[in-house]
Amino acid sequence: MLLKQYERELDKVLARAEGSGADMPAWVKDLKAKGLRTHREHGVPTPKVEDWKYTPLRDFSERDWKVAEPGPAVFKAELPRYDAGSVRIVLVNGRYDRNLSETAPGVTTVSLRDAMVSHGALIEARLAQAGPDTTKTVDREIRPDVFTFGELNTASFEDGLFLMVEPGVEVAPLLEVVHVLCAEDGEPTIAFPRILVIVEDGARIRFTETYVTDGCNDSACVPVTEVFVGGGADVEHVRVQDQCACSTHIGLWQTRQQAESSYRSYNVCFGSKLGRLDQGIWIGGEQTVTRLDGVVCANGEQHLDNHTRLDHAVPNGNSFEIYKQVIDDSATVVFNGKIFVHQDAQKTDAKQTNQALLLSPNATIDSKPQLEIFADDVKCTHGATVGQLEDLPLFYMRQRGVPRDAAEAVLVYAFAAEVLELISIEPVRRALEKRLYSKLGIDLT
Amino acid sequence: MLLIKNLHANVAEEGRKILKGVDLTVGKGEVHAIMGPNGSGKSTLANVIAGRETYEVVEGDVLLNNESLLELEAEERAHQGVFLAFQYPVEIPGVSNAYFLRTALNANRKAQGLAEMDAAQFMTHIREKVKLLGLPQEMLTRSVNEGFSGGEKKRNEIFQMAVLEPALCVLDETDSGLDIDALQTVAHGVNSLRSPDRAFVVVTHYQRLLNFIVPDFVHVMMDGRIVQTGGRELALELEDKGYGWIEQQVAAQV
Repeated sequence: MLLKQYERELDKVLARAEGSGADMPAWVKDLKAKGLRTHREHGVPTPKVEDWKYTPLRDFSERDWKVAEPGPAVFKAELPRYDAGSVRIVLVNGRYDRNLSETAPGVTTVSLRDAMVSHGALIEARLAQAGPDTTKTVDREIRPDVFTFGELNTASFEDGLFLMVEPGVEVAPLLEVVHVLCAEDGEPTIAFPRILVIVEDGARIRFTETYVTDGCNDSACVPVTEVFVGGGADVEHVRVQDQCACSTHIGLWQTRQQAESSYRSYNVCFGSKLGRLDQGIWIGGEQTVTRLDGVVCANGEQHLDNHTRLDHAVPNGNSFEIYKQVIDDSATVVFNGKIFVHQDAQKTDAKQTNQALLLSPNATIDSKPQLEIFADDVKCTHGATVGQLEDLPLFYMRQRGVPRDAAEAVLVYAFAAEVLELISIEPVRRALEKRLYSKLGIDLT
Repeated sequence: MLLIKNLHANVAEEGRKILKGVDLTVGKGEVHAIMGPNGSGKSTLANVIAGRETYEVVEGDVLLNNESLLELEAEERAHQGVFLAFQYPVEIPGVSNAYFLRTALNANRKAQGLAEMDAAQFMTHIREKVKLLGLPQEMLTRSVNEGFSGGEKKRNEIFQMAVLEPALCVLDETDSGLDIDALQTVAHGVNSLRSPDRAFVVVTHYQRLLNFIVPDFVHVMMDGRIVQTGGRELALELEDKGYGWIEQQVAAQV
C-alpha cells in the first residue's frame, strides 16, 4: 500500500470532507461518502502509478492544507473579464458569489448548493456522471487513481455553480465563469470548486472558465467541471488556468457529448507552480464534432501536466486535438493524449497533434500520445514533435532589424497562436494573445 | 560606402573555407554585380555581410562607412542600413506580413532615434510601395511568405527593402526562379530605389537580371576570391563565353 500512497494523507481536509454534506439532500451525502471512500482507497498517487509517473505529488501530499473558507468581499487584484458585453459569474474559493455574479435570460446560473434542492432530480442524474461509461470502456480497466482528485472534490465540495441552458435556447452573450482563490498569507489553503453544466438538446452557448489567485498566494485548487452536451447542441468552452506561480492546480474536466453535437474545448495553461489537468470527453452519439486543443506556456520552475482522454464510443465521430506547448527556463511539461476508438465506432476520424517548443536547455517535455483502436474502418492520425526555435527564421527577422529577443518572442507567439486562433470568441482570443505576450515578456507597445 | 578587405570566412561548424581573400569597394550610388559559377562563394559573401552566424570570419574586415560590421549582430547591421534580400525568403507562419514589417521598421527607427510609427502612419508609409511592387493588398495580412509563390516571395523582399529604405542593399540571387514578368517587376522595384545615397550589391548567376538592373561594375568570383572586375560588358562576355575562359586565365596566373 505504501508504495502507491503517501504516508501523510491530507488529514484536515478529509476530516472536513466528512461533514461537508451535512445540510445537503440524502443522495448528495451518499455521493460524498462514496467519494471519500474511493479517495481514501487510492489516496494521493505516487510516481509508481503510471498516470502520475512524471508528476510527483510528495510536496502536495505533505503540506498542511486548510480548507478555504468563504472569501473576502474585497480583492487585492481586479477580477479578469475578457469581454465588456459578457455575463460574468464569480466563484470565490469554490462558492458561487451572488453579489458579484451577473445573470442572463435563457440560462440558469445558480449556486450548486441551491440547485441540488431546486433541480434535485436533474442534478442527481448527472452529478459525478460525466466520466467514461464504465460499462462500455474498452481499456482493461479505468484506473481509478486518475480520478482520485475528482473523488476528493466530490467528498469535499461545499458549493459550486450549476449552469443550464434549456432545449433550443441560443445564449447570445458570452458567459465568463471566474474562479478566484483567496488565502491568508503563508497559510496553505485548498479549495474545491465544482461546476455542472447542462446544455440541453439544440441549445447553444459559449463560455469561459478562468482560474486565478487573488494576488500571489499559497493555494491549491482541486476543481471538477462536468459538461453535458445534448443532441445537436453547440458548445464552445475555453478553460484558462492562470493562477499565480506559487500555487497548485489539480483539475478534472469531463464532458459527455450526444449525437450531432459540437463541442469545441480549449485548455489554456499559463499558471501555477504545479498544474495537472485530466480532461475526458465521452462521445456517446453519432455525427459529432469535437475539439480538445491546448496551449501550454511554462517557464521558471513550473510543472504543468495535461492528460486527455477521448472515447469514440459510437460511429461517425470527428475529433481534432492540437496541443502547443512552450517551455522555457527549467520548467517541465507533461502531455498524455489517449484516444480510444471503440469497436463499434466505425468511420471515426480522429486527429491528434502535439508539439513542444523548448526554449532552454533545462526545459523538459514528457510527451505520450496513446491511440487504442478497436474498430477497423477508421481514420486516426497522430504526430508529436519536439523542437527548438529555428535559426533561419530568427536570422531573417534579425536581418530586417528586429532584435533577437523580440524575434524569438514573435516566433514563439506564432507557434502557440495556431491554437489560440481557433477560438471563435474574438475578445477572448485577443485577451489570451495579450496574456501570452506578457508571459513571454513581449512589449506590445 | 562598403569596403571589404581580404575577407576570409569558413562554415562555422565544419571549418570548411569558402571565402579566401575577397576585396571589394562599393561607393555611394553604385550598383555592383557579383557573378560566378555555383559554389564560388557569392551567396556566402552576401550572408557574411549581413551577419549570418553560420559563417565565421577568420581574417579581413567588412567596413560600412568606415566602421567595421564584424562585431555587430545581424540586427545592428540592419540598423546601420544593411539589407539582404534572401535567395530563399523564409516563411513565418502565424506572423502577418504587415505586423512583421512594422515591427522591423519600428526597431530600425528606434535604433536611429526616430519616433515609432503607429498602425495608421505605417499604412500611409507603405501605400505607395505596395503599388510600386504590384502587391495585392491581401498579401499584407497573410503570414510572412507563407504559401507565397516564388515570384511573390521575391517581390515581398523588394517590397520590404522599399519600406525599410536601407543604405546598402545586397540581393542574393533575387532572379532565381523568376519568370520574365516577375523579373521585370522586381527589377523595376530595385531601379526605383536607386539613389545617389544608396548602393547595391547584386549577386547573380545569370546576366539576364543585369539587362534590367544595369550595373556600374561587374565582378567575377571564383573559389572564394574576386578574380575579374569590369564594366557591364564583362557580364555580356560571360553570357557569351561562360566562365571557362576566366578559369583558364586564373589558372595560368598561378
